[in-house]
Amino acid sequence: MSVLADQALAYVDALHNLARYLTGNGTDAEDLVQETYARALRAEHQFTPGTNLKAWLFRILRNTFLSSYRRQRNDPTVGGLDTVGAQPEGLGTSDWLLGDIELDRLRKVVADEIEAALMTLSEESRTVILLDLEGLTEVEVADVVGCAVGTVKSRLARARAALRHKLKDYAR
Amino acid sequence: MTCDEVRQHLLDYQRGRSRLETQQAVRAHLDGCAGCTRADTVEQELTRLLEQRLPQHPASLALKRRLAARWWEPPAPRSWWSRRRASLSPVLAAAAVVLVAAPVVYYERAASRAAREQTAMVAEAVTDHLRLLASPRPLDVESGGLHQVKPWFAGRLDFAPVVTFEGDVDFPLKGGSVGYFRDRKAAVFVYARRLHPISLLVFRADGLSWPSRSLTRVNDVEASVAAERGFNVIVWRRGELGYALVSDVDAGELKAFAARLTPAP
Repeated sequence: MSVLADQALAYVDALHNLARYLTGNGTDAEDLVQETYARALRAEHQFTPGTNLKAWLFRILRNTFLSSYRRQRNDPTVGGLDTVGAQPEGLGTSDWLLGDIELDRLRKVVADEIEAALMTLSEESRTVILLDLEGLTEVEVADVVGCAVGTVKSRLARARAALRHKLKDYAR
Repeated sequence: MTCDEVRQHLLDYQRGRSRLETQQAVRAHLDGCAGCTRADTVEQELTRLLEQRLPQHPASLALKRRLAARWWEPPAPRSWWSRRRASLSPVLAAAAVVLVAAPVVYYERAASRAAREQTAMVAEAVTDHLRLLASPRPLDVESGGLHQVKPWFAGRLDFAPVVTFEGDVDFPLKGGSVGYFRDRKAAVFVYARRLHPISLLVFRADGLSWPSRSLTRVNDVEASVAAERGFNVIVWRRGELGYALVSDVDAGELKAFAARLTPAP
């Protein structure tokens, strides 16, 4: 096993977690992670030593997921991955002023509710929230999702605002 | 800073990603603005919720084993011949390469294959040993002697592990557990040398690529001896069973222990 392969396997839990939240089920998540490692193995020579291996694997995983989604969307016999469709998340900063009651409700949200709320967001929003949680910098997240750093910043702010909005509905 | 500007910087402020002057400006604003302080609290609460309550979905052990097995068998490198075929003229290729280089190519490929086989075995053994050490409950059965440990495996494995060494003062038997070696179950016997644990993995040998070169004779078996990540490893095959011995004791002591496991007939 190469050194890169050895290091890459250390991220399998983080990759599977993101895959699970992208696909919405365990079976597809496992397939996605396996395909991600297969692609990473084939593209091992393209990895630049000294850069973030975890971010590189996340990028492969997300690209694999999106290409699979596009393939299924173009196949009339398959319904497609319904976890990708964007939800209305156009909340502005006017949503900031949560009262103390809402804040108190937010504190009572349980695990299942936060997972359900997250799954109602678009794939893009879920991805930036989860990559941020994984500790990736905005530059690394931008590299994973293929956009500018400023765009990541605004997407993350919008995604978190949308999540808070959803959580208000759960925490009653 | 205005409230809108502060709120655009809140996440960076909480993660310490802003420049110093921005951090100071945000902090100064928060000290005097109840609305932005509440917004800051809400963002912190959301982060706490996500970090502490969002369910995590780690990969299953089965997936990890499948991935590890797959990555241990990288695609074979392009052969000497295929790399150079284009640069040789057909006439030279027909005459010289076949007669002169073919034995060399054969030897190099065989040596490379043998090295890969040994590396894969050793890496798996070390990983299994580390997994055992990291386990909160490394022993499924505490040792009351080999006659207590061996029967414990009955019904838990699809083979009977052949181990006759009951442990002694130098290498006492501590217990056992069921583990995995590549894609198959393994009986794991844990011995010790002073404070150093020694894992002996016993598993079905069929279907595995066994090292066939650079072997060391230990009593009546030909064993592959190697070191990886600070551990010494001895791997051998005896009949239908494979054995892997791993520990951080020095190589000489591990060989002495291996000799106890493979008594001369």
